Amino acid sequence: MSAPPSKLESLATYFGVDAIGDSPAEQKLQDMKRRKTKRRLWMVGGLIATYLLFYASLRLIEFSLAEIVGQVDQFYEALLGYFPPTTYFGIPFVDLGAYLSFIVEENLILTVEGGEIVWGAMFVTMAVAFAGTVLGLPLALFFGVMSSERVIPYPFNFGFRATMSLIRAIPGLVWFLILIPLAGVTPFTGALAIMVDTTGYLGRLFTDELEEIEDGPIEGIRSTGANSSQIVSFGMLSQVFRQFIAWIAFDLEHNVRAAIGLGIIGAGGLGLELYVQRQTFNYTEMMACIILIFLLAGSVELISQRVRSALREDDDIEQSGIIEVFVNAPRKILSSTVGRR
Amino acid sequence: MSKLTVENLSKQYGEVTALEEVSFEIEDEFVVLLGESGAGKSTLLRCVNGLTEPTEGSISLDGEEISGSQTAVGMIFQQHNLVDGVSAYLNALTGSLSRVSMLRSMLQWQATEDKVRALESLETVGLLEESHQKVSQMSGGQQQRVGIARALVQDPRCLLADEPVASLDPSSAETVMTYLRKAAKEHDVTALVSLHQVNVAAHFGDRFIGLRDGQKLFDVERGELTPELIDDLYGSVETVSLAEQASTPENGSREEVVGDIEQVIEA
Repeated sequence: MSAPPSKLESLATYFGVDAIGDSPAEQKLQDMKRRKTKRRLWMVGGLIATYLLFYASLRLIEFSLAEIVGQVDQFYEALLGYFPPTTYFGIPFVDLGAYLSFIVEENLILTVEGGEIVWGAMFVTMAVAFAGTVLGLPLALFFGVMSSERVIPYPFNFGFRATMSLIRAIPGLVWFLILIPLAGVTPFTGALAIMVDTTGYLGRLFTDELEEIEDGPIEGIRSTGANSSQIVSFGMLSQVFRQFIAWIAFDLEHNVRAAIGLGIIGAGGLGLELYVQRQTFNYTEMMACIILIFLLAGSVELISQRVRSALREDDDIEQSGIIEVFVNAPRKILSSTVGRR
Repeated sequence: MSKLTVENLSKQYGEVTALEEVSFEIEDEFVVLLGESGAGKSTLLRCVNGLTEPTEGSISLDGEEISGSQTAVGMIFQQHNLVDGVSAYLNALTGSLSRVSMLRSMLQWQATEDKVRALESLETVGLLEESHQKVSQMSGGQQQRVGIARALVQDPRCLLADEPVASLDPSSAETVMTYLRKAAKEHDVTALVSLHQVNVAAHFGDRFIGLRDGQKLFDVERGELTPELIDDLYGSVETVSLAEQASTPENGSREEVVGDIEQVIEA
């Protein structure tokens, strides 16, 4: 300790790479400085790596502020396209007539031509959902009943449960892609995808409902000397008939939303119309499609909820308000398309 | 006309013996099964109906050995075991299930005679007017009467009832028992009914079989049911409801028996 420590030495002490320290406390201090230095080095390395990745990503997506600034006018034009301005009684408002004329012109809903009804895109979407639901219903019923421990003894019922779990693990959207080789990029394939989805999902709901039934009526029917399929249908299914109808309404509602989503990737109907208009940069027409989609998804949900609450006399069904239904429509369309539990 | 024969019937649930070597023969009678809870009354009835498989022994109806549930044996349950959500008529009609195919029964294409029989059975239990009503909207006594109607639609030769009035008030219980006895007489069937209420049993039964700890304690005709037997069956029980027994024109000797029992209970 005769000469004062050099600059280099004090720096080494600061970063904790110096090997001094007589007492245990001083040694610990040195040790902690070393740890701090290590942390700082990791931090610097992390920052550099993040910066490099960010820079590379910007290069890859060709990010350019100049581009945005140069396109602001076009974006404004597009906004005017999405929401064409007009005035009603002198009050500026969105030109609803522009949407309507497109909807009529493109026959998105339906027209009557020479005494014959020409079904529009909206009905194609609904047809995909309805056909898919009805096709999937017997399968859902079969798997739902077979998964019940009362019908097929454990562990054999788990074969049916596992099949339904597997189906549910794959979203409807992916089922559509998988089934394209069967029937092409068509509404038909869309209905098939919904059929598969319904088997897995509605079947599961049926199984859950069957868990809740009472043993008494089953025993009552058995005591009459009925055969086993009669025991299932009269002792079990008759107990949950109304609940099943309510679940079917719920599933149909979900399937309409899924059909919209599947349309965007090619299954026809309103989704496809939206996709086509986006590709051709027709902003007013795009918005018209979106509005129609929200209206369809929202109304189907409203009707389905009312039907279900009428069917389930005692159980309370959540009754969404009209605004809530339309506000939630986009989120629900997405979740219906990309899968549920 | 039918004869139910039970021979050396035993039933064990694991280590527990529910029934031990019970034998008896009933022919066109209204027989009441008495005994404490757990004495084996339900097990006996479930074995006869085929809902439970006996460990040993045999059951035969008119000399033919029977096993499994069948149309010839109708069953009425304490909790009626009807399907709540559908009408009394459709519940009664399920009694005819074993006579139709799956498809026909699903489409309700039963023979007209079965449909008429369902309504006639409901008429027997005094519910013809209410037959379109949902079971869930009916009172407990009415529901039990629908249960009786369902059993009658089976056109059984033997009618079983497992504590049919245990969850009913005294007045409904009497109504249900009256209809049950009427149904058994009209359809000329052998009836085996388990009951908890000694008063009710003494009022309606032709013959009494007492079970204790899975064994047959007594098997007596009306008039032979003495207070001592009841005492033996239940031990010393001090509280039993004392219903005033009105003498029925059908059978005057009942009062005497019931009176005896009540005396014992009061003593």
